[in-house]
Amino acid sequence: MRRVFGGDLLRLAVLLTALATPSRVTAQQHDMDQPPPDQRQYPSLKISGFGDIGYSATHLPEGAKGFSLGQLALHMASELSARVTFFGEISFSARSDAGTGAPPATGFNAEVERLILRFDHSDQLKVSFGRYHTPINYWNTAFHHGQWLQTTIARPEMIQFGGRLLPVHFVGALVEGAVPAGGWNLNYKGGVGNGRASVISRAGDPGDVNGDRAWLANAFSKPDRLYGLEFGASVYGDTITLASSRQFSEQIVSAHVVWQKEDPEIIAEFANVRHDEIDNPSVMWSHAYYIQGAYRLPQLNRKWKPYLRFEHVGVNESDAVYQGVLNLDGITTGVRYDASSFAAVKGEYRNWIRGNDTDRNYGGFFQVAFTF
Amino acid sequence: MRASRSLIAAVLPAWRGLALSLAVLVATASPRMQTPPDIAVVVNATVPVDGLTIAELRRILLGDREFWTPGARVTLLVRAPIARERDAAIKTVCQMTEAQFRQHWIGKVFRADTATGPKIVYSAEMALDQVSRVPGAIAFIEGPVTSKNVKVLKIDGKSPGQAGYALR
Repeated sequence: MRRVFGGDLLRLAVLLTALATPSRVTAQQHDMDQPPPDQRQYPSLKISGFGDIGYSATHLPEGAKGFSLGQLALHMASELSARVTFFGEISFSARSDAGTGAPPATGFNAEVERLILRFDHSDQLKVSFGRYHTPINYWNTAFHHGQWLQTTIARPEMIQFGGRLLPVHFVGALVEGAVPAGGWNLNYKGGVGNGRASVISRAGDPGDVNGDRAWLANAFSKPDRLYGLEFGASVYGDTITLASSRQFSEQIVSAHVVWQKEDPEIIAEFANVRHDEIDNPSVMWSHAYYIQGAYRLPQLNRKWKPYLRFEHVGVNESDAVYQGVLNLDGITTGVRYDASSFAAVKGEYRNWIRGNDTDRNYGGFFQVAFTF
Repeated sequence: MRASRSLIAAVLPAWRGLALSLAVLVATASPRMQTPPDIAVVVNATVPVDGLTIAELRRILLGDREFWTPGARVTLLVRAPIARERDAAIKTVCQMTEAQFRQHWIGKVFRADTATGPKIVYSAEMALDQVSRVPGAIAFIEGPVTSKNVKVLKIDGKSPGQAGYALR
């Protein structure tokens, strides 16, 4: 009996040890569980994902209250040959109108966020087709649905999910590449696509709403001499056709400067949007910017990272394209704690004014975010 | 005076013993305190470069450079976590922690910049074997490189073992 009990203890100890030390195995499995390169097979589908759960409490009612499920984003990448690659991303988002209407709305929205087929010729030339995160905003492409990837809980207002200030998604074709350029490491992207749908927060997934394609150009540098620095600029042009059939010419210029190391981490972005109604010349400008700083504390195993962000959105009130989009001035401060290599806990305080002649609002927010 | 002489006579042997023990300890410990061997950057013999700068090596390690030349794709082999070769590459070349390196690659794949992260190898022998067989492969090896069909790259113009070699 005693021997059996001892054996159970041994098994329990082995089990606990196995449970307590999964991180290294998991780490290898997450990004590198692949056959040896000389045994590569195609297609090589790999699925990963991101998820988050939040809690919020605000002074004035705005947005979700209490606990809320964030997006569950599934990301797929598959090499179809040595030079052809498929990328896909599907998100599931909780609906606030679940169960209402006829037929009743489902509990979650499923959305094809990205679907890209890319042909790689070289570092200097890659051509792709599909649905992208519009590469005219650093945050939009660097983090997007990966809440775990971003330091803060909330995205900047200028590029919120479902936001209308900047086009979040882009359906079309992209040419991209990078050249060393004497250590400046210049990267470029050029694209043509459908642009915004008549509901301007949507991309033109089923087709363009008018005969004018959207276009974009983006360039950024990551100089060797200042390793960690990235800076760049973008331009975007489109013709918007609203549901009312009013048409507007849209031009966006944007710029970003990022210090990518974590001691400190600095991200600053600016975007200026010009709308000009066709057949009724009246130019309207709107703009938005934010600056965010964070610092990975060297103590306590480098798990803590406090941060601070200022942001501003200034919308031209007479711009019919941005009807319902409100001005905003806000400050966000918080701290991120990396509980493991793949999970983070974040807590933050926000203070903001949305719209003119409104009361200042503030609130506390909490999030657990992870990748798998 | 006599008392102090007897005290010295009593203590001296103990000091001699202690000094002898320390000498033995230093002599046996000194091999362990030698600097570890340099870490060689090894590529398949078909790779059309003989040397890289640290900045170029960093771009490969971070996935910013995916091709040696048009058509010749880089296959990055990295040792599993804990290995000294991996630590040296991440800390010296990328100036990152293990967690930052991992997050960088998760983000890289997520942004659709690349379909896969570095390939893991579990020993120097496995790394050399793969490098010798996969065109475009690159790996970090501690110790002697004896395999055929591979070559050791100069880093910032220096070979492993030379003074000022960056990867130690």
